[in-house]
Amino acid sequence: MIKMVASRLASSTLSIVILVTLVFFMVHLTPGGPAYSILGQKATAASVAEVNARLGLNVPIWQQYFVWWWHLLHGQLGYSYLISRPVGQLLWQYELNTMVFYSVSIVLSTLLSILLGLVQGVYYGRWPARLIGAFQLGFYALPPFFVAAMLVLWFAVGLKILPANGIVDLREAHPGIGSYAAHLVLPVITVSLLTVCSLSRYFGEAVHEELQKDYVRTAAAKGVAFPTILVRHVMRNALRPLVTILGLSFPYIFTGGVIVESVFNYPGLGWLMWRSALSQDYPILIAIVLIIGILTVLGNLLADLVNGLLDPRASYE
Amino acid sequence: MSDQLMTEAVAAPGMPSARMARMFEWASERGTLIAGLSLSAFVLFIGFVAPFIYPVDPFAIHPAHALEAPSRMFPFGTDELGRDELALLLSGGLATLIVSLPSAVLAFVVGVAYGLASGLGPAWLDRLLMRLLDAVLALPSLIILLFFASLVTLNDTSLILLLGFISWPSLARLVRNETMAQKGRDFVLATEQLGASKFYVARVHLLRVMAPILVVNGTFMVGDAIFALSALSFLGLGVQPPQVSWGSLLETGLDIIALDPWWMILPPGIVVFAALLAASLTGQGLLARWGNRQ
Repeated sequence: MIKMVASRLASSTLSIVILVTLVFFMVHLTPGGPAYSILGQKATAASVAEVNARLGLNVPIWQQYFVWWWHLLHGQLGYSYLISRPVGQLLWQYELNTMVFYSVSIVLSTLLSILLGLVQGVYYGRWPARLIGAFQLGFYALPPFFVAAMLVLWFAVGLKILPANGIVDLREAHPGIGSYAAHLVLPVITVSLLTVCSLSRYFGEAVHEELQKDYVRTAAAKGVAFPTILVRHVMRNALRPLVTILGLSFPYIFTGGVIVESVFNYPGLGWLMWRSALSQDYPILIAIVLIIGILTVLGNLLADLVNGLLDPRASYE
Repeated sequence: MSDQLMTEAVAAPGMPSARMARMFEWASERGTLIAGLSLSAFVLFIGFVAPFIYPVDPFAIHPAHALEAPSRMFPFGTDELGRDELALLLSGGLATLIVSLPSAVLAFVVGVAYGLASGLGPAWLDRLLMRLLDAVLALPSLIILLFFASLVTLNDTSLILLLGFISWPSLARLVRNETMAQKGRDFVLATEQLGASKFYVARVHLLRVMAPILVVNGTFMVGDAIFALSALSFLGLGVQPPQVSWGSLLETGLDIIALDPWWMILPPGIVVFAALLAASLTGQGLLARWGNRQ
C-alpha cells in the first residue's frame, strides 16, 4: 500500500515538474511581455526596463527559472503584475471559494449518480434505463455556458427567485450563510447536471455488470432480499469504478468550473484564471496551473486510496 | 444466418422476443448513426450554405430596432446594436466551423503521428513521449488553452494551431497503446521479416487495422474542437471582434441578461448543442456498428 502510494506520487510529481517547466519557459520566450501589459503598448524603452528590473525580469531566463523554484519551495508564488500583491495571499481566498463550490457539487453529483445508476443498472434494457440513457446522452452534449445562461434566464431573470451573480449579496452589511448558499445554488446545479451524465452512466454500467455475477445468484438463492443484495454486495463492488472515474474527472470538473464561475461571476480559482488570462498576469496563471496540477494528482491518489479501502485486493496490484 | 437463428432458438425458448430485442438494438444503433449524420448535415448547412440563402449583412446596424424580439423583419430578433441576429448566427457558424474543423484535423494528425512514433520508436523515446503526455494530461485542456490564448495574438490561423496542438494527447495515447498491442502480431512480424520499413508497416498494416477506432475518435475530436472554440470565444479569448462566433454571440446575450434577451441566447446555445450532439451521436453510432462487427 505504502509502496503503491509512493510510486504513484513520484511519477505524478515528475509529470508536474515537466509541466511547470514547459509552461515557465513558454511564457518567458514570448515577445511583448508583461511590462507592456502594465504600461501599455506605447511605453518607452526606459520605463519598460524599469518595470522589468522591478519585477526581476531582466536577469537571464535560466536564473529566473531557478529563482522561481526557490521561491516556490519557500511557499512564495511571486507577485501579481497587475495587483502588486503576493500571489499566495491573493489565491487563498479564491481557492477557499472554489473548494466550497466543488465539495458541494461533487457530493451532490455523486449521490445523484448513485441513485440514477442503481435504477439504470437494475432496469437495464427496459424503459426507465433507456430514458435515463437518453438524458445522459443529451445533457452530456450540452455546453456548460448554455446551461448556465438558461438557468440564469429562468430562475434569476424570469422567476427572480435566485441570485445570478457573485458569491454574496453586497447590499447586506453582514451577509449570513443563507446568502452564500443562495448564490451557490445555480452554479452547483450547472456543474452537477454536467457531471452526473457521465458519472451515473459509468455507475449504471458497473451495477448492471455486477448483477450478472455468480455471487448475486448465490445470495439470492440463499434467500437474501434484493435490496440487501443491491446495497451490501453490488454497490460495494460497483462503487470502485465510480471512485476511479471521480478521481480522474477532477480536472474536467474544473474545466466546467472555469466557465461556470465566469458566467456567475463566482470569485473562485477558475474565475481568477479567466481574468488573469485576459490581462496576461503570468505569475497568477502559473500558480493556478500549478495548483490545478497538484489537485489533479491528489484527486487521482485519493481515488486509489479509497479503492484500496473498498477492496483490499486493489492495493496489491 | 440460419446457424445463428438455430443457436438462438435453442438458447432462448422465448425466441421471438429475443429476436425482437436484437432487431430493436440494431435499429437503435442505426438510428443513432442516422440521427448523428443528419444533425451533422444540419450544422454544416447552417455554417456553409445558409449564409447564401439568407444573404443579409450581419454587421449592418439598425439603431431604431435595437434589442427587438423576433419579428417578421428580423426572424431571430436583433442585438443591442440593432444587428440582425439570424445573420449573425449564420456568420458565427462559418467563423466557428472554419476554425474548429481544420484544428480537429491538425490534432488528429499530430495525435496519430505522436502515438505511432511512441509505439514504433525505441524504448527510450516511448518513455520520454509518454512522460510528456502524462504532464500534458495532468491539466484540463481548457486551462492550457486559456493560458496559451492569453499569450498569442488571436486570429483564425493562431486559433487553429492553438486548438490543434492542444487537443491531441488522448488520441496519441490510444494510438500508442493500440500500436503496442498490434505490433507483436504475426502479420506485422512477418512483414518486418520480409524487410519492410516501419513506415510501411504503419501505413499498410497498423493504420488500416486501427481505421475504425481512428474514425470514431476523429468524430469525437470534431465535437471537442467545436466545444473548445466556443468556450474560448465565450470567455473572450477565441474568435475576436468584429468577427462573431457562436460562443461570443452567447456571451453578448449573457452580458445584458438582465434585459431578458432570450432570442440572443437560445439560438447560439442550441446550435452549439446540435453540433456537439451531432459529433457524439455519429461517433457512438459508428462505435456500436464497428464494435459489433469485430
